[in-house]
Amino acid sequence: MTGRVIVITSGKGGVGKTTTNANIGTALARAGKKVVMVDTDLGLRNLDLLLGLENRIVYTIVDVVEERCKLKQALVKDKKNPNLCLLAAAQTRDKTAVTEEQLKNICDELKEQFDFVLVDCPAGIEQGFQNAVAGATEAIVVTTPEMSAVRDADRIIGLLEAKEEIKSYKLLINRYRPNMAASKDMMSKDDVVEILSAELLGIIPEDTGIITSTNKGEPIVNDDDSLAGRAYRNVAQRIIGEDVPLIDFEEEAKLSTKIKKFFSKFLNKGKEN
Amino acid sequence: MSDNIFAEIYNRILSLFGQNVKDESKNTAVNRLRLVLMQDRTNLTPEIMNRMRSELIGVLSKYVELDKEALDLNIGQEGEQMALMLSIPVIRAKDEAEIEQAIKEEEEAKKAKENSENKEESEENTEKETESSEDSEEEVSSEEESADSEPSEDKSEDDSNISDDESEETEEKEIQEAPETKDEPKLEPETETKKTEAKSEKTKKEEK
Repeated sequence: MTGRVIVITSGKGGVGKTTTNANIGTALARAGKKVVMVDTDLGLRNLDLLLGLENRIVYTIVDVVEERCKLKQALVKDKKNPNLCLLAAAQTRDKTAVTEEQLKNICDELKEQFDFVLVDCPAGIEQGFQNAVAGATEAIVVTTPEMSAVRDADRIIGLLEAKEEIKSYKLLINRYRPNMAASKDMMSKDDVVEILSAELLGIIPEDTGIITSTNKGEPIVNDDDSLAGRAYRNVAQRIIGEDVPLIDFEEEAKLSTKIKKFFSKFLNKGKEN
Repeated sequence: MSDNIFAEIYNRILSLFGQNVKDESKNTAVNRLRLVLMQDRTNLTPEIMNRMRSELIGVLSKYVELDKEALDLNIGQEGEQMALMLSIPVIRAKDEAEIEQAIKEEEEAKKAKENSENKEESEENTEKETESSEDSEEEVSSEEESADSEPSEDKSEDDSNISDDESEETEEKEIQEAPETKDEPKLEPETETKKTEAKSEKTKKEEK
């Protein structure tokens, strides 16, 4: 098996790289794919928290590199989904603890056993970024419709284009506010796509559920009623290669759609009973 | 979510009565971003921009007398494309004789340059040939250097003499190309210069 190695990056911090990683990984695993997530944010690891796996970590990526354990031993299985694994970052070390070459070797080894290797990239364009990108052939650039995030995404795209190993990159617009975009108080998805002239992978709406799901250590894709969860599931479908249309957020926000949904759910429940 | 719905309903009702509630800040964001990305993406550092600016002044002042301080060169966006925005305040247009003079001078300067370059090349060649005998080499190079430098020195002296008589403006101009053209208006009768001055004022007004 040769899996796909996808790096999830953004340049700017706080736009939702790790959240995206956790959710896309979980969604892909739910779709029956074997997925491993690699946290390369040495010293600032958080992917374990979003997945609720923080208490299960025994070995980290640095232990693998320094040969204190085998790669397989360091993989932490997800609570719910046996298809999903995490290779955690070390919390006590910094970015110099792992080299580009070592990370590339780890990715190469992992893609023999998994369909997808999702690499969580640290913020910035320094060594941490170079390390994370080293083993990947595809990239997801996460941005929000804010000026600073778009500017940093542009920088990252420039760096990705200079890398021969990266065959393709796609844009994920996170924390999208359809209402503000509609009232032209915020850049729309079209504005962002046009400015960055990149292919769009998906749009995730701003959702307070992200915060509560993080509190619980449970990715929001597992919540079938959440709009952000649905958007993430769609993104995963697109990664697999299915043609799923973008969610029409304006339509979703309409009262009539909500009422329809409520009643259809009600009716479905009635039928089941 | 319910807040959003009420806000939306409120805005819709207002828009029904033809009221635009907010100024659209996203356009500002898009425009600012485009500009900043343009600067990020190109390697046009302020240093290079300055160089480009001074070279442009050199070329343009052959044909027009321009306000160098006010010349404005910027990167901007024209639709999809990146564009260089150049705004040139013209003090006055030069007449044909002046322009011809400037072009001639430039050509002469070019020729002089080429000649000197050729000489240098030949010098190098002779140097290579006579590498063994250092004494003769030194003599040759020093002779030729002095020969090269003499006429150029003369020129610059001439320039400085003339510019002393002239207004301060021309003294400021330190462009290599065609410095002598500014002598011309002096020779012209006063009335003509006055006319051109008036013209320049007009063009300035038009620009404004």
